[in-house]
Amino acid sequence: MKKLLISAMIVAGTAFGISGQAQAACGEFQMSDMNWPSATLMANVDKIILEEGYGCKIEMIPGATTATFATMNEKGEPHVAAELWTNAVSVELEKAMGEGRLHSAVRGPITELGEGWWVTPGTLKRHPEFKTVLDILERPDLFPDKEDPSKGAFIGCPAGWGCQLSNQQLFKAFEMEKKGWVLVDPGSQAGLDASMAKAAQRDENWLGYYWSPTAPVGKYEMQLMDFGVPFAGAENWDGCIAVGPEKCADPKPSAWTESVVQTIVTTEIKGMPDVMTYFGKRIYPGPIMNGMLVYMEENQATGPDAALEFLEKHEAIWTKWVSADVAAKVKKSL
Amino acid sequence: MPQFYGAIMFEFFTDFPDMSRRDLRDFKLAVDGAFRDFSRENGEAIESFFDPLLWFLIWLEKLLVATPWPVILIVVGGLAYLGSRSWKLALGSMLSFALIGYFGMWEDTMSTIALISVATLLCILIGMPLGIWMAKSDRVQAVITPILDVMQTIPIFVYLLPVLMLLGIGKVPGLIAVCVYAMPPMVRLTNLGIRLVDRDVLEAANAFGANDKQKLFGVQIPLALPNIFAGINQTIMMALAMVVIASMIGVRGLGIPVLQAIQNQYLALGFMNGLAIVGLAIIFDRVSQKYGKRLQEHRGGHDHG
Repeated sequence: MKKLLISAMIVAGTAFGISGQAQAACGEFQMSDMNWPSATLMANVDKIILEEGYGCKIEMIPGATTATFATMNEKGEPHVAAELWTNAVSVELEKAMGEGRLHSAVRGPITELGEGWWVTPGTLKRHPEFKTVLDILERPDLFPDKEDPSKGAFIGCPAGWGCQLSNQQLFKAFEMEKKGWVLVDPGSQAGLDASMAKAAQRDENWLGYYWSPTAPVGKYEMQLMDFGVPFAGAENWDGCIAVGPEKCADPKPSAWTESVVQTIVTTEIKGMPDVMTYFGKRIYPGPIMNGMLVYMEENQATGPDAALEFLEKHEAIWTKWVSADVAAKVKKSL
Repeated sequence: MPQFYGAIMFEFFTDFPDMSRRDLRDFKLAVDGAFRDFSRENGEAIESFFDPLLWFLIWLEKLLVATPWPVILIVVGGLAYLGSRSWKLALGSMLSFALIGYFGMWEDTMSTIALISVATLLCILIGMPLGIWMAKSDRVQAVITPILDVMQTIPIFVYLLPVLMLLGIGKVPGLIAVCVYAMPPMVRLTNLGIRLVDRDVLEAANAFGANDKQKLFGVQIPLALPNIFAGINQTIMMALAMVVIASMIGVRGLGIPVLQAIQNQYLALGFMNGLAIVGLAIIFDRVSQKYGKRLQEHRGGHDHG
C-alpha cells in the first residue's frame, strides 16, 4: 500500500511539474466546442495538439455560432472559435477586429467548403439535362411537395437561422413561386437532415439548402448545383439577400456568396505566438474533412474520439502543421 | 502477489465491466442499419397508410384559413358559449382571437388550431378505448401503464428521428409527436374515471339485468365523464405545449415564429406568438373545464333527484 502511495505521489508530482513548466510556454484558455461535427472535431484536435504539444491548458465551452460569437465579442470568452462561419456575423466581427478585440488566426481552416443548393445524386443521374439551378426550376413537377403535390418542394433553411432569410430572398429573386414551387421550412437541423437523408436513402428527387463540409454531403454524395447566374455583387447580397424580405423588397438572382470561415481568437491568444503560428498552418483539406465526418457519423463518434482517429490516421496532414519536436510529443501522448 | 490481486479487484469495482467499445459500436450500427433497410422497404407503404390523415389535416387547415374571419370569430364565441354557458368567456375568447388576428398571427393560429384539433380527436379516438380496456383488466393496466410512462418521459427527438426517416418532415410526424406526448392523460383519466364508478351503482345495474355493453355506455361512461373530460382537457393542454416541437419538424403554425424568435433573440416576436399559444390554451382549457363541471353538476342533480 505504501509503495502505491509513494508512486502515486511521484506521478502526481511529475504531472504538476509538467503543467507548471507548460503554463509558462502557453497558458490557460477556453475554446469553443461548437455543436456541429466538423467544429467539434477541429476543437478537439486543437485541444490535444495544444495541450500535449505546447503545454496549454484548455477548457471546452459548448455553444453555437451566434451565442459563442456574442460572448466572445462582449466578454472575451471563450478565447478561440475554431470554425466560425463569419458571414452571419460579418458586421459585428469587422467592428470587433477594427477595435482590436478579436483577430482572425486563419481564413479558411477547411478547403472547398460552402453553402448552396444541393440535389441527390439520383436526381442528376435520372436527369442529366440539369446543368444548373435554372434548369431545375423549370421542373417543379419532379420534386412534388408532400402537402400539395401540384407544387415543387424546395427545402429551405430552418426557422431562425441566418440562411433562412437568404433562402427566402433567393426563392423570391428566382421567381420560384410563379414557377410552381413552395418554400418548405424544415424547422430545425434535425428536420433538414432527416428530409435530405430520407430522399437520398430512397433515391427520391430532392432540392434544398445545405452546406459542406458535412457528413450527410459526404455520405449521400449530395451534388452542389451551380446557380446558373453569376454572383450579383456584394451590395445585392449583403444589403438585400442576407437581410431578408422584410428589409429589402427586390432581391436580384445571384449565386451564393462565398462562405467565409475563420478561426477567430481574442487578443489574449494573439499574444501567444506559438499558438498563432499553429492556427495559421492548421488547414484541413475538404475531402479529408468530409471523410472524417462520415467516419464520425458511421461510428457515432464524439469529438474527442474523432480527434484521436484523425491524429492516428492522418499523420501526414497534421505533422505538417507543427514542428517535429511538437509532433513527437503529440504522437507519444496518443 | 496479494497486492496484485488487490489491484485487480480494485479495478473491477471502480471500472464498470462494460461491453467493449467495438461491440457497442457494432450493436448501434446493426440497429441503425436494420432500421434503414426497414425504412427503404416499407417506407412508402407506411407513408401511404397515413395519407388519409394528412389529407384530412390539410383539408381542415385550408378550410380554417379560407373561412372569412368574422365567421370564425362567431363560431369561436358560439362554441365557447355552448361549452361554458358563460357570456364572459365567450366574449373573452372572441376578443383574444381578434387580438391574434390584429397582430398578424391569424394564419399561423389557424394552422395550429387545425393541428391541435386533429391531434385531440385522434388522442380521444385512441385513448378512450385504451383507457376503457385498461379499466376492465388489471393485466392490461399493468402492461399499458409503463408504456404511458415511457411516452411521457422519453426525449422527443429520440423517437421522432425514426418517424422522420419513415415519413419525412411535415404534418404527419408532427401529429405523431403531439399524440405520443398528449395521449397518456386521456388514457389514464379514462381508466381512473371508470375504476372510480361506485360498485353499488354497478350492482344495481346488474340487478336490473344490464349486459356489459349497457353497463359501459349507460352507467360507467356517463359516471366517468367528468374524469374523461379532465383527460381531454389535459390532452389539449399538452398538445398545445408541443406546438413548438412540432414546428421543429416542419409543421407550419405558431411554433415557427417562436423558433425564429428564440434563435435570434427577437423578444417581441417570441412573446406575441408565445402568448397566442397561451391564449388558445386558456380558451380551450376554460371551455372544456366548464363543460366538464357542468356535466358533474348534472350528475349531482341526478344523485339528489
